[in-house]
Amino acid sequence: MIDFVGKKNIFIIISIILIVASLISIFTRGFNLGVEFLGGSEIILRIEAKVDESFVREVLKDLAPEFENARISQIKSINDPENISKFSVVVSPKDENGNLKVYTGQEKGEISNEIVKKFEQKNIKAIVAGFNETSGYAAQEIKNLTWKAIVFTLIAILLYITIRFQFVFGLGAVLALIHDVIITLGFFSFANYELNVAAIAAILTLIGYSLNDTIVVYDRIRENLRRPKGKSISTLVNESINQVIRRTINTSLTTFIVVFVLLLFSGNSIKPFAFGMTIGVIVGTYSSLYIASPVVIKWIKR
Amino acid sequence: MQGDKTRGIISLIIIAFALIALFWPAPGGNYTGIASIFNRIKLGLDISGGARIEYRVDIDPSVENPSAVVDDVWTVLRNRLDMANYTEAVVKQSFREENTFIIVEIPGATDTAKAEQLIGSTGILWFGQVIDETTTNPNIDPNLINEAKRENAQWLLDRDGKKWYLVRQEIDKISNLKLVSPKIVEAIPEVDRNNVAGYVVSFTMDKEYADTFAKITEKLYVPEEILNQGGIAYEQALKKRLAIVLDNRVQFAGFVVSKITDGKAQIRGNFNLEEAKQLAAILKSGALPARLEKVSSGWVAPLLGADIVSASLKAGIFGVIIVLIYMIIFYGVMGIVADIALLYNTLLLLGILAATGTILTLPGIAGIILTIGTTVDGNIIIYERVKEELKRGSSTKAAISTAFSKSFYTLFDANLTTIIAGLFLYYFGTGTVKGFATTLIIGVLGSLFVNLVVTRFMLDIFSGGIKVKAAKKGGARA
Repeated sequence: MIDFVGKKNIFIIISIILIVASLISIFTRGFNLGVEFLGGSEIILRIEAKVDESFVREVLKDLAPEFENARISQIKSINDPENISKFSVVVSPKDENGNLKVYTGQEKGEISNEIVKKFEQKNIKAIVAGFNETSGYAAQEIKNLTWKAIVFTLIAILLYITIRFQFVFGLGAVLALIHDVIITLGFFSFANYELNVAAIAAILTLIGYSLNDTIVVYDRIRENLRRPKGKSISTLVNESINQVIRRTINTSLTTFIVVFVLLLFSGNSIKPFAFGMTIGVIVGTYSSLYIASPVVIKWIKR
Repeated sequence: MQGDKTRGIISLIIIAFALIALFWPAPGGNYTGIASIFNRIKLGLDISGGARIEYRVDIDPSVENPSAVVDDVWTVLRNRLDMANYTEAVVKQSFREENTFIIVEIPGATDTAKAEQLIGSTGILWFGQVIDETTTNPNIDPNLINEAKRENAQWLLDRDGKKWYLVRQEIDKISNLKLVSPKIVEAIPEVDRNNVAGYVVSFTMDKEYADTFAKITEKLYVPEEILNQGGIAYEQALKKRLAIVLDNRVQFAGFVVSKITDGKAQIRGNFNLEEAKQLAAILKSGALPARLEKVSSGWVAPLLGADIVSASLKAGIFGVIIVLIYMIIFYGVMGIVADIALLYNTLLLLGILAATGTILTLPGIAGIILTIGTTVDGNIIIYERVKEELKRGSSTKAAISTAFSKSFYTLFDANLTTIIAGLFLYYFGTGTVKGFATTLIIGVLGSLFVNLVVTRFMLDIFSGGIKVKAAKKGGARA
């Protein structure tokens, strides 16, 4: 039997260090926000040949650092001739401090010339048909997910678990949830990994995953609490965790496999999802074993 | 084994419905073979692209805070699309020189005309006074043009395009008595009591506009006797009609037969249900604070990039296959059951998405991955219980039965907590977050059903196979 409870202080300290480090990184380094959040400049490219996105991506990749993560999608207007292709290229240029900047008119001109030249080298005629500033559409969508929404969600979860279990369990689950989300976000900030809509999806998925994982452990504790007395609460909690450990490992491992494969092989803009999930699964599993239950042992009532 | 029979029949019926929803031939489907399931599922902009329409926001130069107006336009369009179930559509602002543009991208719509219809009205809503009407084109008649100038009013076509009304914004020429872009808090289509086949749209204005509306209806009030009497009084009453104008068309022109103090009113115009619904949706989503002028319409390819989507799809499928194999290696016969349960739930989820017309995007797929996780997890929870019970020396049948009754509340609580989180995300979220919440809720409910009903049914059927393997393990341990 593994002792999850006895060394709880060590793990609580580890978690606190991770959370503090994450918060520091989030508030000082910030995030490498994706184009969907930042917005930036949209370049409308008109190319007189039939080419696809990956070709354009390849050509523009090393034009400037911001072009590496450019969102490139093909667009088409009514009445466009058959033999041309049009692309919307959205980039978020940053200044030395990592803040979003707006291209000056001169820069726009230079970049447009560069782009045309790049395509000329491939013997393709390209025209920059538009150079606009664009808003980050996702930023406005996420705006509604305010603190109010987050607090309400947490209260609802707390209430449900209090009704079905005990108040301390609700508290433990919510703490574990906050723990998982902060540390995962911390990794995004620390690794300077792009935080885009896909990454938000990963964080949301993580919420479900973390809750699920914690509740399964709690459920076993609840069941064992009904058994005749005799063992101390901490022994009982430790036994409960050990009873579900195979399930926890198997579930985590299967989820891990899927997201890790995705991390290795998926394309650019989806990688942040896989990254968030990979970190999230590890952190979530750890917290449901070492944090969620041991933290609340003192207050569990029979 | 009566229970198993029922479970088996329910499982088959439900999956049959899901398969019908998925494989029912879709008009204009692009995929064949296995991929044909995607003909019935609407894919999001990020995965399959869609219609792209660009509008210029026509802001009155006198407006103090133009960016607030643009934000309001954005919110109105977002609400309209959300209400039409296009939570996955993208609305973004774009700026060029002094102009502001709104770009709307609607997933799955290959027909731009249809997309424009979905966006709905691009004009503003206002109330005015009808001064005159004509059935001949007033724009070529100098008399009528002069009349409009004299009255400081404009000639506007009605909804059917048959009649022109001369409408003025200022009621009774009182300069500040006008009602432009009022906030509508409620709008519902209702059956017209006077005309059984037709519909009316009832709406309620926000309090701050209700007062103005009350003043307007007071000014334009015409007692019903006059309408019945006719004569000169009636001729005068004709100049006191109320017009509701949207998109520069007179949607409604009629007499005010009672003062309206509570901001509640009806628009009657012989609508059919579809038209009434659409008008109600436009009213409810808020009238636009500025006019939109279409700049271009066309299509956009997958936002994530077609190349990236296909690479990631392959990676995802590869990962799932590894999980399927892992489960069989680890749990033997029960692993096969788990794999079937997983496929069952995925098909069920896709079937529901197809049947409800929900749009699948990358965050939606994240929801599916979580669903796959909870389905596998549910099975693992049950199997670990079965193993525990077998170790205690129960017979296979008894072990399965006890495992299910013990796992019931585990699964119930774990999944319900997730669903609660999902419901809140759905309520507070917009766009992508809503999309994620939708697949999450459907998927987790599905996995609860699959784990408790479908897995149970299959485990009982395959219980012979489990016994051999479990006995071997149990024996080795004893």
